[in-house]
Order: sequence, then structure tokens, then C-alpha cells
Amino acid sequence: MTEPKIEEVLEHIWTHEEEFGKRASKDMLSQWIDPQAVDSVLQDMLRQKFVHMYNSLIVLTATGRKEAEQVIRRHRLAERLLKDILAVKHDTMDSSACEFEHFLNDEVTTSICTLLGHPVRCPHGKLIPPGECCQRAKKILRPLVLSLLELTPGEEAKVAYITTEHHPRLDRLSSMGLLPGTVIRVHQKQPTLVIQMGETQLALDEDIARDIYVRRSH
Amino acid sequence: MLKKKSKPQKPQPHTPSITLVGNPNVGKSAIFNLLTGSYVIVSNYPGTTVEVSRGTCKGIDGRVEVIDTPGVNNLIPQSEDERVARDILLREGHRRVVQVADAKNLRRALFLTSQLAEMGLPVVLDLNMWDECLERGISIDTGKLQSLLGIPVVRTVATEKQGIGHLLNALPQAAVPSLKVDFGGEIEEGISRIEPLIPNGYPRRAMALMLLSGDFTVAEKLGYSKTIHGEVSKIRNSIQKKFSDPLSYIINRLRAAYVERLFHETVHTAPKRIESQPFLRASFFFFFVPVFAFALGYKIMDMLLFFFQGYLSSAPPLGLILKLVSGSASCVLFCLHLYRKDLRTRRTVSEVLGDLTMHPIAAYPILITALWAIYKLVGVFGAGVCVDFMEKKVFGYAGTPSGGFDLWFPVPFAGKDVTLLHVPFNGINYYLGLLGQMLVSPQNLGYQLFLDGQAGLIQVGLTYAIAIVFPIVGFFFLAFGLMEDSGYLPRLAVMLDKLFKRIGLTGKAVLPMVLGLGCGTMATLTTRILDTKKERIIATLLMALAIPCSAQLGVIAFVMGSISGFYFALYVFIIAFQLILVGFVASKILPGGRSDFIMEVPPFRCPKLYNILLKTAYRVKWFLREAVPLFLMGTLALFILSKTGALKYIELAGRPVVSNWLGLPPETAEGFILGFLRRDYGAVSLFKALERVHGSVGAEPAQLLVALVVITLFVPCLANFLVIIKERGIATAALIIGFIVPYAFLVGGVLNIIMKAF
Repeated sequence: MTEPKIEEVLEHIWTHEEEFGKRASKDMLSQWIDPQAVDSVLQDMLRQKFVHMYNSLIVLTATGRKEAEQVIRRHRLAERLLKDILAVKHDTMDSSACEFEHFLNDEVTTSICTLLGHPVRCPHGKLIPPGECCQRAKKILRPLVLSLLELTPGEEAKVAYITTEHHPRLDRLSSMGLLPGTVIRVHQKQPTLVIQMGETQLALDEDIARDIYVRRSH
Repeated sequence: MLKKKSKPQKPQPHTPSITLVGNPNVGKSAIFNLLTGSYVIVSNYPGTTVEVSRGTCKGIDGRVEVIDTPGVNNLIPQSEDERVARDILLREGHRRVVQVADAKNLRRALFLTSQLAEMGLPVVLDLNMWDECLERGISIDTGKLQSLLGIPVVRTVATEKQGIGHLLNALPQAAVPSLKVDFGGEIEEGISRIEPLIPNGYPRRAMALMLLSGDFTVAEKLGYSKTIHGEVSKIRNSIQKKFSDPLSYIINRLRAAYVERLFHETVHTAPKRIESQPFLRASFFFFFVPVFAFALGYKIMDMLLFFFQGYLSSAPPLGLILKLVSGSASCVLFCLHLYRKDLRTRRTVSEVLGDLTMHPIAAYPILITALWAIYKLVGVFGAGVCVDFMEKKVFGYAGTPSGGFDLWFPVPFAGKDVTLLHVPFNGINYYLGLLGQMLVSPQNLGYQLFLDGQAGLIQVGLTYAIAIVFPIVGFFFLAFGLMEDSGYLPRLAVMLDKLFKRIGLTGKAVLPMVLGLGCGTMATLTTRILDTKKERIIATLLMALAIPCSAQLGVIAFVMGSISGFYFALYVFIIAFQLILVGFVASKILPGGRSDFIMEVPPFRCPKLYNILLKTAYRVKWFLREAVPLFLMGTLALFILSKTGALKYIELAGRPVVSNWLGLPPETAEGFILGFLRRDYGAVSLFKALERVHGSVGAEPAQLLVALVVITLFVPCLANFLVIIKERGIATAALIIGFIVPYAFLVGGVLNIIMKAF
């Protein structure tokens, strides 16, 4: 396995690109790790062909990118596991996930991913890079957890989680009884999405439905 | 609809009172009407009560004040409506609460009951719509529910007036529900830390939960000092840090979980459902649907053939065959679709109708059919037959006898009418004219004030108000009531949501916009059901600009229809285009966001005739009270203007704009002035002015089109303008008018240039 320090740096480079859409530069490294270790870590990464330098910019190689995605994947899967299954509190979740990402091996990661039903997004709403198991599951089985928008009319499912960061929306939905655990059935998708939950029929914007993740009942 | 207070009464601090609380669209207003004997409009459209109504009820313990509140899903408010309801409940004083619940949706009702318990209010739980609950095979163990909650539970069917006696009898036994949701370690600790900060006389636990949920409006209401506010925020933040989801969401989830247990202990759903009556069912599936589908296919082919008339005129049987084939095809398709799924699953007729009216494909032909039926009822029967009869026969003209009318009925299939008797009634105005001539000469100013053929208060003002507007508006409100009570309007909202989003609104705006076709003034009042200020402004603007009210539409349809169908279609197209264009631009320019579209779709119901008639009568009464004085005012203004000769000067002043820019005869300036008093009135006088200019041949269609487009877009009527000021404030109202007037003339001028070019 790769050294934790290198994993940490790869993770930072990758998230930097995800967040800002720009390459990381060399001087950023000192913000992420111990400034004295910068040079040796960078040498190690260059030797293992994870990155190459382009002027002062650090560019991920194909192997480097793959390695980084695996780290991110472990981190975000860990977050989901801690939050959904173990119901750990927010600050603990963040710090533990940082530790999880370094010691989970491939096999354990795959089983966690399967247990969680190959989730698409982390609790912060960011995408989880899919692993091989997710691709396989998509081909062989239909994914267990998917966005409400992906259901077809007539299908029944149970709400798994709602990822919206828009709090009033969350409050409104939950007051109407749309909560994790609620069984819903898609009544129609056109011209507007209409769902049935219990005896309530609810018409919803697609934007809202996109953030509601459900688990197929069978 | 806007439910306004029926009898303005000051709340007296010590009168015992009952507050009606409940989820949206559960029948609070219906219960209110039954308890008080007064009338607020009951509607099958969620969120229509936006104002608090008060009334009194003669209960068993003397007179009691009854308060109707807007529907809420959560007493930790997320919208203005919920805040209004919550504030009423928090007011000091001894009061009892009747929680009206939709019996088939008990889960959501119990969510509120647990909050009422936290507020420490004595409650009676009323399970309304008990009939629908039975129909769906849901059985509620009311005895067990009663003992679990520790409060009286009664069953009612408000629309059938069932169970109200039980409700009244249960009132004295109202008790605080014995429910206590345990929110777990951290949150409970937070509650106990905030509770001591809340002053006496307020429900501490409920207030603490509101503050923890981040609802600080409650703190402002209490006149909270800054330091306490800061302390509460500190406690809240320290707890929030421990959770990854917002506290309000966690509180809702825990409450829902608690309610879920209660629900499972008391409610059982049997798989067996009650079906529609066999006769109704059979006639719906085997008669109505096939006939409707056949007629639809036939009509569509008929319209298609209309465009290819030239090719087919040589072979008339081909057209008939095509129409029959198309009719049968539509019939077979429609029936197969229904029989495959719905007939076998034994769903009730109203469920099937409820689905079809918002089905992605089937809904459109149904919409067109509904529009056609409304046109036939309002446009042809109301605006044509009834107006004609009322104007010419009942009111008549001073000076000329109407010649009376016959009472007759047609004999079916014989093609003959049987006349019962001839009524030699010459019209109210004729007799008034005779009476007037006995006292003074027809040239006398007093006689002319009332009976002048051009601007007499009775001959023109009152006759227009009662004979022209009353039938049109009355039939429109009848049709609207039908759509509202059956549950068709919310389905229309589902269908039109995507289109409305383009113009900065959501599907929810269907109610005010459709009502605007009846009366823009009334519709402007209902824009309050929209969630954001931006949406309310856009809806108000669009209604003032491009939605003609039924009276105006009736006159326009009559005028245009009598000239050319093509020009009428062109008129509709231009107005619809303006509606979308202005809405689209306004949605981009105005600041603020669009609200979320989350709307409950109530079940499709068979409307109760009595309720619709009552509602129509209520609305017509309201309309007449608003309209008749304005009609009279308008006529008086016109009378003074024409007698003093001022009208000539106004026409002169308006001439450059009216005749050069719009290409209309200068006489039409009068119509634009009148248009401000009543929109339809303006349309009528424009038509009359054009007729006078062109003589008996009638107006030139292109000129008429320009005139009617301008008068439609042009300023809303005076009543509507006053309501816009009241609802949106004087600044916004001035901006709206400041935009509409030049814009209407701009569109008219451009249209004039285009029409001249062709």
C-alpha cells in the first residue's frame, strides 16, 4: 500500500482540482503537509510516477489519479458508513473518515460499498468515485440506492436519505412526512413528478426529487 | 379562494374560544361554516385560507368565538401561513383547540397533535372525511387512540354535515394530549437549558424546540433582549455541532418516528377497498369513456379535415369515413388503456378520473374538452343567450318597447317548439321611461341622467352591470367552482408547472391565474397563496396586463366571434404571447428566487352541487357589491364628460396617439377612458364607437383587433388597481401601471403597423 503521507497529498491535489477545476501548484503542498517533508514526499511521488511537474504545477498521472480516486472513495464511503449506519456525530465523522481512508484495504472497501448499496454521494453531497463493484452492480443488478428521479412510474421504494443542503426544503419535506424510511411510489413523471406516500399525493420539482435518494423495495 | 372574515369582531380577552387547526385541505373551513353558520369559501385546493376568520358558535356552554386558521404541516413554521397559525395558538388566554384531521392521513395529523401537546393546549381531535377513510379500507381504532392521546376523538364528514353534534358535545372534555416525544440526550439537554430563559405564561418546551429548530421569529414576538438571544444561539450552535444534519430536520425525524409508533397501534389498512356503485362504474367504463373517446377522435379528424377542405370537397363520403375511422381508433385506444389496468384493478371511478386528468397524454384532450365546455357554458350560454335575454327583454330600452317574450320549450326529435304563453313585458327601462316622461320631458337633464341611451345611470350603468356582467361572471364562477371542488385545479397545476416556471411562477399560481379569467380583482387578492414576493408581483402584473376578465372576454369573444374566427384566434395568440414574453422578462429582471414547487394533489371528488351553488352565490354577491358602484361611477363620469363637452377635448388630446399611432377613429378615445372604470365596459364602448363610425357594416376587423388588444393589455379596472395598491403597496402598483400603459400602446402601435403592411 501507498504511504499515508503520499495518499494525503494525492487526496488534496484531487479535491483541489474537483473544487476549483485548477491544477495544484508546488507551494500549496506546504499548507497540506509538514513544510519540511514537502521535498521528500514530492520526490517519492515523482519516483512512483504518481505525478509529474509542469513548471511549478503538479499534474496527476493516470496512476496517480487512480490512486487518488481510491483514497477519496475510501474517505467518502467511510463518511457514509459512519453517518448512515453508525450514526456518528458530525465532527467525529470527519476526523474518523480521515483515518479510515488510510487503512481500509480493497476488499473491505468493496464490502462497505456493497453494504451501503453503492452510494453515489457522500453526506456533504459530493460524488463518490465509483469502484469496480459499483460498475458490476450496475451491470448485473440495478443499484440499490438511487435518486428518486431514476425510478420509473409505478415503482415503489423507500427513502434512504435526502442530500439537499437547502435547509428550508428539508424542513418542508420532513413536515409533510417525506423522511428516510417513508415508502413512496412514483405515480407519474410527466408533465411533473407526482409521488404517492400513504394517502398523500405530492407533486414535486425535479430539482428537489434529484436530492432524494431511495432504496428499491425489491 | 380568499376567505375573508365574515363578521369583523374584535377578539375579547376573556371570551372562551375555539381555534381550528390542522393540515392543509382537511376541511377546517367546512367545519368552521358548520360551527358558526356563517360562510367562508371552502375549496378543494390546498392553502387557500390565508386569512384568519372569526365567527361565533352557539355551543352548549353559551356563545363561543371560533377562529379558522390557515392549514399547517408543522407548528415550527416554515411559511407565513404557518407563522400566522402558530402565533394565534401562542397568544395568551384560555382557549381550546379543535384539531381537524384528514382521517385517512392520520400520521401527519398526529405530528401536529404532538406539537399541540408541547404547547400545553387542550385539544379535541376531529377525524374529518371519515367516509373517504372507510372507502379506502382504513380502519382507525378511535377508542384506543382516545386513550393513548388522552383527548376526545370524534368522527365527522363535514361536507355531509355529519358528526358536528358529537364535536360540540366533546368540546368541554378537551384536554392536553398526553404525548411526550423524547428527543434524546443532547437535544433534551438543550431544551432544559433554554427553558429557564423563557418568560412565564408561555409553553416552555414548545418554545425551546422552536428556538432549537432555528425559528427566531418566535423570539422577536416575545420582545427578547439581545443577551438572551445570544445565549440561545450559543446553546443551539453547541448542539448543532454534534450533528451532521440540521437540528430542525433531526427534531422532525424524531417526532415522525414517535408518531409512527402511535399510528401503527391504532390504524389498520385492510386490502379490501370499497368500489364505486356498479351502475356508476358500468356506465363510466362502458358508456361514457367509449363515447367520449369516439367523439374526441371524430372531432380531431374533423378539425384536421377543415384544413384540407379543398382536396376533399369532391369526395364527401371520404371525409365521413375518415372521421369515423379516427373516432373508432381513439375509442379503442382509450378503452384498451383503461380496461387493461384500471378496470381489472377495480379502482373507483373518481380515482381513475383523478389520474386521467393529469396523465401525460390523456390530460390534454380532457383539458381541451373542459375549456370547450366552459366556453359553451360561459361564452355561448351565459354571454350569448342570457345576456341577450337580460339586456333586450328584461331591461329593454327607454322609449322603445321590447315587444315581450315567449315562454317555450322544445319538443325533442320533432323539431318543433311549443309556446306556453306570451309575456307582454316591455322591459324595465321602458316602463321607467314611461314613468319618467309623465313627470318631465325626455330632454330634461334629470331624465337623461338616468335614462340617456349613451350614459344614463340606469339605462347604461345598471343595465350593463346586471344584464351583461352578471350572467357572464355568474356562469364563470359556477364553472370555476366545479373545477375547484372536483380537484381539477390542482391537477391543472401539475400539468402547467413547467410552463409557469418559464414565466417565473410555479404550478401553484394556477389558482389565481385561472380565477383572473373570472375577475382580476378577486384573483389579485388570492395571489397571497403564492410563496415568494417575486411570484406575487409577477402574478399581479400578468393578471393586470394580459388576463382579460370574464366580462371583458365575453364581450370580446362576442364581438370578434361575430366578425371572424381567424381574428379571434389571432387575438388569443397575441395576448398569450404577451403573457409569456412579459412573464419571462419579468422573471429574469425581478430580484429574488422562485419557490419550490411542492404541492399536495387532493383526491378527485364528486363535487357537491349545494356547496358549489353556495360558493358561486357568495362570489357573485361579492362581485356585484364591488362592480355595481363602479359601473355607476363610471357612467356618471361619462355623463358629466359628455354633457359638459369635456369628452370632445379628451378625444382631441388623445387624437395623435389614438388615430396616428393606433390607426383608430378618434371617437374610440372614450373607450380607453372607460376601460379604466371597467375593462369590459371599455371593450363595449370601443366596439360601439367603431360601429358608429363605420355605420351598419360594422367595424373593420384589423382596426377592431388593434383596439381590443390595446384595451385588454391596457390598465386594469379601478377596483383591480385599488386592490393592487392594497396588496402590493403604492410603489409597486405605480410601477405596474407605469409599465402597462405605455406597453399596451406600444404593442397596439406595432400591431397596427404590421396589420397595415399586410
